[in-house]
Amino acid sequence: MTRYIILCVLIIFSITLSAKTKNGTPMKENLVLLPVKNDPTVSFKIWFNAGSEYDPKGKEGLAYITARLISEGATLHNSYEEILEKLFPLASGYSASASVEMTVYSGRVHKDNLEVYYPLFLDGIIRPKFSEQDFDRIKDETLNYLTTTLKYSSDEDLGKTVLYDFIFENTPYGHSEQGTISGVRNITLDDVRNFYQTYYNRNNFVLGIAGGYSKKLAERLQKDLSALPEGTRQNFPDINYEPIKGLNVKMINKDAQATAISFGFPINLKRGEKDWYALAVANSWLGEHRNSSSHLYQVIREARGLNYGDYSYIENFPNGGQLQMPPVNVARRQQIFEVWIRPVPNETRHFVLRSALREIKNFIDNGLTREEFELTRKFLKNYVLHYAPETEMRLGYALDDKFYGLQNSHLETFRKMMDQLSLEDVNNAIKKYLNYGNMKIAIITKDAESFKSALENNTTSPITYSTPKADKVYEEDKEIQDYKLDIPAGNIKIIGVEELFK
Amino acid sequence: MLKTFLTGILILIAGVSMARPKPEKIFPYKYSTAKLDNGLSVVLVPMESPGLVSYYSVVRTGSRDEWEPGKSGFAHFFEHMMFRGTDKYPGPVYDGLITSLGADANAYTSDDLTVFHLNFASDDLEKVIELESDRFQNLKYDVREFQTESGAVYGEYRKGRTSPWEVAFEKLQDMAFLKHTYKHTTIGFEQDIKDMPNMYDYSISFFKRYYRPENVVILVVGDFKKDNVLKLIKKYYSSWQPGYVSPQITPEPPQTQERSAVVSYPGKTLPLLVVSYKGDAFDVNNKNILSSVLIGDLAFGETSDIYKKLVLKEQKVQFIQADFGFSRDPKLLYIYSMVKDPKDVEYVKNEIYKTLSNFQNILVDNKKLNDLKKKERYSFLMHLDTPDNVAGFLPQFITLTGGIDVVDRLYSGLDKVTPEDILQAAKYYFMPEKRNVVLVRGEN
Repeated sequence: MTRYIILCVLIIFSITLSAKTKNGTPMKENLVLLPVKNDPTVSFKIWFNAGSEYDPKGKEGLAYITARLISEGATLHNSYEEILEKLFPLASGYSASASVEMTVYSGRVHKDNLEVYYPLFLDGIIRPKFSEQDFDRIKDETLNYLTTTLKYSSDEDLGKTVLYDFIFENTPYGHSEQGTISGVRNITLDDVRNFYQTYYNRNNFVLGIAGGYSKKLAERLQKDLSALPEGTRQNFPDINYEPIKGLNVKMINKDAQATAISFGFPINLKRGEKDWYALAVANSWLGEHRNSSSHLYQVIREARGLNYGDYSYIENFPNGGQLQMPPVNVARRQQIFEVWIRPVPNETRHFVLRSALREIKNFIDNGLTREEFELTRKFLKNYVLHYAPETEMRLGYALDDKFYGLQNSHLETFRKMMDQLSLEDVNNAIKKYLNYGNMKIAIITKDAESFKSALENNTTSPITYSTPKADKVYEEDKEIQDYKLDIPAGNIKIIGVEELFK
Repeated sequence: MLKTFLTGILILIAGVSMARPKPEKIFPYKYSTAKLDNGLSVVLVPMESPGLVSYYSVVRTGSRDEWEPGKSGFAHFFEHMMFRGTDKYPGPVYDGLITSLGADANAYTSDDLTVFHLNFASDDLEKVIELESDRFQNLKYDVREFQTESGAVYGEYRKGRTSPWEVAFEKLQDMAFLKHTYKHTTIGFEQDIKDMPNMYDYSISFFKRYYRPENVVILVVGDFKKDNVLKLIKKYYSSWQPGYVSPQITPEPPQTQERSAVVSYPGKTLPLLVVSYKGDAFDVNNKNILSSVLIGDLAFGETSDIYKKLVLKEQKVQFIQADFGFSRDPKLLYIYSMVKDPKDVEYVKNEIYKTLSNFQNILVDNKKLNDLKKKERYSFLMHLDTPDNVAGFLPQFITLTGGIDVVDRLYSGLDKVTPEDILQAAKYYFMPEKRNVVLVRGEN
């Protein structure tokens, strides 16, 4: 009984309508509505096709700075100070998040405060002022992020950023949303204005409204958004990444107390396809995000106590250190299979890298057992329920469904698929999409030269523990310590941390 | 069928909305409490959340309770050990069962509490109650498991220590407290973490002293029948033997002069400035405490004069923020800022002092105060929309007072704070002799 109830909740009531702009240009398929009649709040999300993949060469960071300037700057009616003053008693705000593909302008407000809130929210997106003062502040903050915070305050986040840049170098995906140091320095306020004119246009967005809004409000907002600049729907740029041959390592040398490791490779699969759900089951068994039952976690953390956690992904999962459940509106046409090894003691780095890659090989060679498959699909069927309990999150998923061109809700399909998949589906998907011979590896460590030489020479890496372990751990360790990675000398590059993101 | 359950969601949300006009009763859900004979407290908050339940076990022990020398970080370490299983459900079996339920399960530790929480389907309530009651009563692990887990804790320390903020707070607490256990952060002193593998016997005594029914509150929020759940809790937890032993925490002597320190961070960062003042133990009847919560936002929030000046106009700092929160024993009221140019650190510090001095001498504008009260209220109401959001909000109040009645009293108390109260509280807290300042400098 209860299970049925849950299923009902998961069904997302997204209604796709078409509407017309003021000048009569049809806006097909650009509206997602999620009514929850007596919800005391209203959530808005406007997805613009304006992610960092559209950053011009030499101006990397432009999409990010434009988004921040819209949500953290003055409008033609109010200074930023005035906006903050007016929003303050409402306990509401609005924000714009620029990811690689999607830029989403969002807000949520209690219905009591809608009339005060609405014009502020609308001004943010249709009447941004782009003031010099706001621009200087945001540009400065972004540069500080790239020069200090990203490089020094979290080695594991640095590792993930380096991995994505490495896999997608020389493509529109090849830099983080915040851009590069020289790119951000080059950006002018005119660049921001131009970017806004080109990408925040009336034919380049999908509007989502959820909660206790009225039909009138939805119509009003659609009409008001026709004041956005004229323009056309932007095409997605091509992501022609270089195919990966063999194992390729990029080591970032810095005075790190511990070694952070991330590795992966592109996978050509997306939500909605049956294989995606099959691979999701496999991946969950291997490395469910922040979940102690996953295999990599068991091997590296639970049995050996070498770090805080070890996870794997088939979709981008930014802010993994802060989030338990997957984020919304960071969708990408091109995903990677990614493994995140949280920092390990420097003296164990070679052993852990061997151990992790050996596990991936075993995983691909052997697949899941019947028992592992049954347990994991049972887990996911209910676990997915925790992905979007709030209306606002459900709206986020509905927009992502739009991005991926799905007719049915992804979360609903996810649960259904858990009943329909077979063990063979899962193990075939592993073999079809994953590999252990061709991948890129990002490592943040100290004394990188010695690690490079150890890798080049397949030097044995025995491990000693300060505390006793189970006998089977010692036995397995003997195999791990000499597990051959065979990384060609030319495939290992060392870069000083100060050289990054220039 | 579908329609019926949608209506369920709607009623829930309407309930939130309807509760709003009565300031004396802001918590929007009806709840009940019970106490078992062994001292275990239970708080049940049924709410319409089709098929979902949040189950929280709140242990009123955190790093504050680590009073013995050399044992800092133990409450957090012990949180890890709680996943190692029992005779009936050994670790891997426990993990397997939680996995098969598709539960979202985790735990966290702070200064004053340790919380174990799960979100899952209502149908699985009895299984979860059985599993949770079992590990709280019958936890069992061997020396080897214990020692291996200590490696994971050290890994957690290493990952966190790369942040310059960790460096700042580690130094600040060490400096601000001479006797009280707030001297160490929740993760603990590094030398104590290194020594954890040798503390197996101590860990058993830690469990026996603190993981007792009198020191734990079970909080259940979501879709369930309260009588049924109470019956199940009685069934599974009644055998739990009381035996809580209070920690021997030395009170912190009054601070008589300002303390400050400059710490270097092994990496690049903009200078971090933390200015803090000694606070009070939480007491909902203490007007100074209620006023201080509001001062944090009024003086340093996004609409404050100093924010407008230093962040928006002069752009001397990347951000400035205050955290005047609640604690079980007197702790600290923090103001922290990231300064753009090392040359401006003194200037920023003086601007902070000037701001506090203004609050000590000039009555705050009534409209501003009322706007803030309105904001607090809406922020509270907009947040309580799912069982996990409701349950996640309550443990701090449970650990401070043993229950959740205080929530309504807190909000009604905040509503009554006057500009005069704000001025008095500012005078009381922001004295130079109560001040502790830490500056973190990078290797730029």
